[in-house]
Amino acid sequence: MAMAALRREGRRFAPLLSPRPIAGVRSSVVSEEDVPFGARSISTQVVRNRMKSVRNIQKITKAMKMVAASKLRAIQVRAENSRGLWQPFTALLGDTPSVDVKKNVIVTISSDKGLCGGINSTSVKISKALHKLSSGPEKETKYVVLGEKAKAQMVRDSKKDILLTISELQKNPLNYTQVSVLADDILKNVEFDALRIIFNKFQSVVSFLPTMSTVLSPEIVEREAEAGGKLGELDSYEIEGGETKAEILQNLAEFQFSCVLFNAVLENATSEQGARMSAMDSSSRNAGEMLDRLTLTYNRTRQASITTELIEIISGASALEG
Amino acid sequence: MASNAAVPFWRAAGMTYITYSNICANLVRNCLKEPYKAEALTREKVHFSISTWNDGKPEKPVLRSDTLED
Repeated sequence: MAMAALRREGRRFAPLLSPRPIAGVRSSVVSEEDVPFGARSISTQVVRNRMKSVRNIQKITKAMKMVAASKLRAIQVRAENSRGLWQPFTALLGDTPSVDVKKNVIVTISSDKGLCGGINSTSVKISKALHKLSSGPEKETKYVVLGEKAKAQMVRDSKKDILLTISELQKNPLNYTQVSVLADDILKNVEFDALRIIFNKFQSVVSFLPTMSTVLSPEIVEREAEAGGKLGELDSYEIEGGETKAEILQNLAEFQFSCVLFNAVLENATSEQGARMSAMDSSSRNAGEMLDRLTLTYNRTRQASITTELIEIISGASALEG
Repeated sequence: MASNAAVPFWRAAGMTYITYSNICANLVRNCLKEPYKAEALTREKVHFSISTWNDGKPEKPVLRSDTLED
């Protein structure tokens, strides 16, 4: 929004900023709105108002960048620590993104607040691409949307395919209990063969990688186990306790979903703060450049009006003498 | 505490493994002593608003906001 406001300011000022002789500048400035009628000198009020508003915007975006940087530090540590939650699952069950299933549910994770650059749009773009990729005869793909921003974009053209939307997730600091209750709700309300979780993985402060994690339902795990590979080796494990393999797979699938969702939510929150930091940084830089251009124009206008007054005084004086 | 029955007691009661492990975690957190206990219990706060969609229309969102939904 700050970017759009700055762009609007720039466009309004574009005719004045093109290199034209001073007379040309004067006429276009005088034709602006709040020059009082009958004034002899050019008013610099318009330019001064613009400069004040651009300076305020710059201060705000700088402050938002600082806030995002401090939040980033805290949550980055937690996101990196939570990576250890799903790694054992991948070591045990493998990762099969290309599995062919009938019922796909795409869980798209996004932020509730805006001004965070393009990360929400990339998540939505990838979700829609995945939807197209996994549609076909007898196949069904539905969405579960976390976060207001993705909901707003999805509602425009994929309303029929949305199963659940969740918001206000970040009101309290993110914790595992909250995400696991959420995962529980999703599992209870949704039938799926495979869950695809789409989020932005945090690589570094400037790079966020859109990622997809796959969690299979226990029946599909059984089916894939017969096909061999990592899952086929599950039978070589001994099962302790009184539970059957199907029981254990059920528990593992639920817990895997909860862990993967927790990590995904944390990583997305970290990416959100990083993207907000860089968006606000480029916004402040643009505001600074705009302020420089406005200052030059202000000085030119001011000098032009001084010159005009001098000319009038001198010509008045010489008219008296002569 | 798996019983001899085919299904563990909590699954027969309709809970998923996630709910079961959350209850167990809650019990462990309640065993802590005072300053750590308050800190640990802040890590259990749940707040989100979920709304199911039927055929393109959202129903009224349900706010789940409590410490631990057991």
